[in-house]
Amino acid sequence: MKLNKSCHIYGLFQQPMSIKSIFAFVLLLVFQSARAEGEAAPDFIRSIGKIYVVAGVCLIILITLFIYMIQLDRKISRIEKRQKNE
Amino acid sequence: MMRESTTTTLFRLEAWKWTAMAILIYVFIVGWIVPLKPGIIKVSPDRAVAGEQVVIDVTGYNSAFASDSTQLRAWLSLAGDTVLSALHVQAWDDRHLSASFYIPSVFPVRQEAYPLTLILDHGIEGSSVLPNAIFITPASVQDTSELPLWYKDKIEHIHQKAGMQYPFRNILAETIRNTYFHVPMWFCMIILFGASAWYSLKYYKKGDIDADRRSVAFIKVGLIFGLGLVTGMLWAKNTWNAYWSWDVKQNMSAICLLIYAALMVMRSSVEDEMQKARLTAGYNMFAFVLLIPLLFIIPRMTDSLHPGNGGNPALGGEDLDNTMRMVFYPAVIGFILLGLWISQLVYRTDKLKGNL
Repeated sequence: MKLNKSCHIYGLFQQPMSIKSIFAFVLLLVFQSARAEGEAAPDFIRSIGKIYVVAGVCLIILITLFIYMIQLDRKISRIEKRQKNE
Repeated sequence: MMRESTTTTLFRLEAWKWTAMAILIYVFIVGWIVPLKPGIIKVSPDRAVAGEQVVIDVTGYNSAFASDSTQLRAWLSLAGDTVLSALHVQAWDDRHLSASFYIPSVFPVRQEAYPLTLILDHGIEGSSVLPNAIFITPASVQDTSELPLWYKDKIEHIHQKAGMQYPFRNILAETIRNTYFHVPMWFCMIILFGASAWYSLKYYKKGDIDADRRSVAFIKVGLIFGLGLVTGMLWAKNTWNAYWSWDVKQNMSAICLLIYAALMVMRSSVEDEMQKARLTAGYNMFAFVLLIPLLFIIPRMTDSLHPGNGGNPALGGEDLDNTMRMVFYPAVIGFILLGLWISQLVYRTDKLKGNL
């Protein structure tokens, strides 16, 4: 009896695909496509494996450095202007 | 004299500055274009009862399940040698598959719930792992004759795809690339503050106002590289689910930046040049000495979300494999050189300003 039970469990997919198991998979496919439609889309920043987080980090770095370089540039311009006046 | 050769002077630059640019260009290109290894994003259902057959839907990332799906194999693993092989694996498309397992009603160990790790192997694309993919609650009727089922299967012949790929880490996913952008910010900041402390020491010994100028330039740029706090917050929001989770390393680096910000405020409040320089030098050396316990010792003593702290492995294992090292170390060097370059510009500007 025990042996029979485990045979049944393991035999489900190892036997030539029975109508039952094919039916089970078709059902599964239907459920899956239905669920895919109902699924809420992940927010933009976390889509595509959260790649936009990396983009954001790179942008923060670049923008900060640019702002600092602009400030430095203006500082140098002021010095040049003062130098010219003297 | 300046007019005659603007084009040649434009490209006349010290070699280390060229190196900085070349390294950073390499880091930005390679850090972005190298793909991740295939991974598993989602398994549903993530809960099941033992003693039953369970069919799980798996969502992959960067995966190619559909291409040659006959080579697809799946396992659920409780521990190293207790493994269940999938009865059947069906690929729907490159990113979706279903796998059916029979979960024995009896387990080799006794627990409240049993987290199982899902392992997939594809003949071409290589293997992927999702730890704690599915939680099994014990069956009401336990059949001890099913115990050998746990030892029947083995994980064998795991494939690995050749070529450059970054590891896929659950939760991190693509953000593992931030290792090349966020982490070097802190390395650079520490180097700049260290250089600053060195020049402060020099000022203390010789009383040379030029050393003070250099040391302040390093602090200014070091504070700019404290933007690692902001990049870290963005990263934390999307992996730890909060911009600020009062993690010990977050707190300590914020304190450290405040100490240096206070130094700049103090400096601007002193009128006399010599007194200003002397105070800065003393404070700065003290601040750098404080930086070491704040950033390297205290975070290691308690639990922290950051890798390398509170018992987590540092800069190793799956978080930084040899492929990533090929980008990470150049990134650190590149950003440090960039920081030194900007500091030099600031120093030269301050010097011009001082000489007027």
